[in-house]
Amino acid sequence: MRFFIIICLIYSIKIYSQSDWIKWGKANYSYQIKDNFQHRDYSLDYQNPERFVIKSLADTYWLFISDVDGDNCSFNPTCSNFFLQSVEKTNIIQGSLMFFDRFTRDMDILGKVGNYPRVSDGHFFDPPSLYLMNQDSVKYSPPSFVVKNE
Amino acid sequence: MNRTQINIFTFLIFILVFSNLNAQDFLKKQFDYAKKLYNNEQYFDSITEFKRLLFFDSKGEYKFEANNYIGLSYKEGAKFSDAILYFTLAEMNATTNDELFDSKIEIIRSNILRRTTSHAIELLNSVESDKRFSNRAKEINYWKGWAYIFSDNWEEASNYFAQTDSNTVLKDFCKKVAKKKYSTSLAKLLSLFIPGSGQMYTGHFLSGLLSLGWNVLWGYVTINAFVTDRVFDGLIVGNFLWLRFYNGNLQNATNFAEEENLKIANNALNYLQFNYHGTKP
Amino acid sequence: MNKIFFLAIFICSISFPQEITSTKTDLFSLANTKKFADYLFCQRDYLRAINEYNRYLLKTKSDSIVFKIAFAYSKMEEFQNSINTFQSIPKNSELFLQAKLEILKLLFQSNNFVELRKKITNDSLENKNAQPLLNLSFLFTNDNLPEKNDFCKPFPSEDLNKVKNFYEWKKDPPYKSPVAAGILSAIIPGLGKFYTQKFWDGVWGFISSVGFAYLSYDNFHADHNFRGWLFGGLAVGFYGGNIYGSAASAQIYNAKIQFDFVSEVKNFLERNNYFIPKINFCQ
Repeated sequence: MRFFIIICLIYSIKIYSQSDWIKWGKANYSYQIKDNFQHRDYSLDYQNPERFVIKSLADTYWLFISDVDGDNCSFNPTCSNFFLQSVEKTNIIQGSLMFFDRFTRDMDILGKVGNYPRVSDGHFFDPPSLYLMNQDSVKYSPPSFVVKNE
Repeated sequence: MNRTQINIFTFLIFILVFSNLNAQDFLKKQFDYAKKLYNNEQYFDSITEFKRLLFFDSKGEYKFEANNYIGLSYKEGAKFSDAILYFTLAEMNATTNDELFDSKIEIIRSNILRRTTSHAIELLNSVESDKRFSNRAKEINYWKGWAYIFSDNWEEASNYFAQTDSNTVLKDFCKKVAKKKYSTSLAKLLSLFIPGSGQMYTGHFLSGLLSLGWNVLWGYVTINAFVTDRVFDGLIVGNFLWLRFYNGNLQNATNFAEEENLKIANNALNYLQFNYHGTKP
Repeated sequence: MNKIFFLAIFICSISFPQEITSTKTDLFSLANTKKFADYLFCQRDYLRAINEYNRYLLKTKSDSIVFKIAFAYSKMEEFQNSINTFQSIPKNSELFLQAKLEILKLLFQSNNFVELRKKITNDSLENKNAQPLLNLSFLFTNDNLPEKNDFCKPFPSEDLNKVKNFYEWKKDPPYKSPVAAGILSAIIPGLGKFYTQKFWDGVWGFISSVGFAYLSYDNFHADHNFRGWLFGGLAVGFYGGNIYGSAASAQIYNAKIQFDFVSEVKNFLERNNYFIPKINFCQ
């Protein structure tokens, strides 16, 4: 038993030394459990008419359909969010093309495993930044990675 | 030897002894200094000083206390894995049963805070079966109660607090939280028979109504299609619309129950952290 | 006789305890600070070690201690701090050359290839030791590659094959062309995705565009004009989206093989100990 503990200690040396590489102080530790539930952002932008229309359509879709028909999208961001972000980053035409492409990729039930990295809740990570037709914005992460939520 | 020589010889002995005492004093002084840093909440520096003490403490007089304090400092910085490592070192250098028990409990408390509660309970069980600690059963049950609180099992926590007899406050509190929680399986069962009812049970009325509406609509369309012999339409609508919303309804019922339960648990945990003044992990 | 005895005892009684207190019990003395710092350093507790070394340097000068501080920073991956500290080692020091090489390694590790090349070309002294790093740095940037023979020269013969492969990959990377992918998908929907090795995406791209086109045709044929337009619009959307997506997919493919290449080169560097310093402080 003791031997086992010592072995564990030797292996843990790597961990404990690294946690002291930045000076730290008393932590604000909270007893609360971290909440992983995703909440929609229903807010509207009244300044920009194009975004207002698209966002209110998306809000309506979320409220009446998406929120009550279950979790059907295996991607993060979800298809509707992907569309919103695409339009925001490019324009309505390019955003729609990106959305159609995403939709075809979403149809593929078999081929996703091993093709996309995942986020911590198990969804496949597939952000619009990969599809902006700009080689520099393509940040590749291999499927074995677990990426942090954006 | 004459008298003066003897006097001087005793003087020399005295000085030598004194200087040796002095040497030990320095370790004591270092210990006090490190402890002062710890009390001033300068945990990073206090660890440095305790490490210095350990490094120069060739006889190992402070091995237990210094390691224990390093563990406590890491714990204050919410670095629980490091804390556990040093509490384990303290445990290995404990000289009395009390010290041994204390360091074991510290390891358990860090495990509770780190939310590796199953390991904490395992450790508590092994402490409980240890004959040396047979008179500490109440403390052990007290920490079992906390371990179950942190694994979100309030019913079991309440049971263990009941066995500490001094702690009716925590016992009642946990009981109350357990009662307040929604039953996930009941929510699912309700929605299984009446779509939307499980959501309403957890207080999500709008979502419940929407679910009910969609299910009634697509259910009607599907059944109508079959009745009027449009089998293909019935299959398509039934499969792609009715089933989809029915499944979504079941998912929402469980999700909402879990979400509400988490809120209740977090409120309770928050209350315990800031308003409960007894010993906490 | 008595006097000498007395004197001896007097001297002992004054000096001996002080001896004890200064070496054994003053934990913050110069020697003890260094001992403790070395211990922390070898425990990989680098930040604390740096603090102790800095306290030591307040009282005395030592290039080897400065070197150790810089080394500790590099272990903590604080590259800029490390470089700055290495740079503070003066020219007349024994460790000056070693420090310079360390700086080059750090520049390499922090992907600062421009600075690395500038440093090496400015100073012929380092050329011999730094040539492998300099050459490998070209694999990570888009600058013109040197001649193949020059590129391979500084490497030992057992690494030569690998290095040659790297060179050839960089010279002519097996990228897929986004334009070609787009054109292929325009001819047959989904073909571009096959080209970028996304087999299933290609299949579904084909099914969605052709399927909706057929539905549209079928509905126009049966005089369901609204449905015809609806499905037709969707077919066009999926068709266009597939062309767009094929081109994007080629870019992702290129990013992927680039990523694989870089990790392979980095693995090669680590396996061949290009970053392990020759000095081992903790025996």
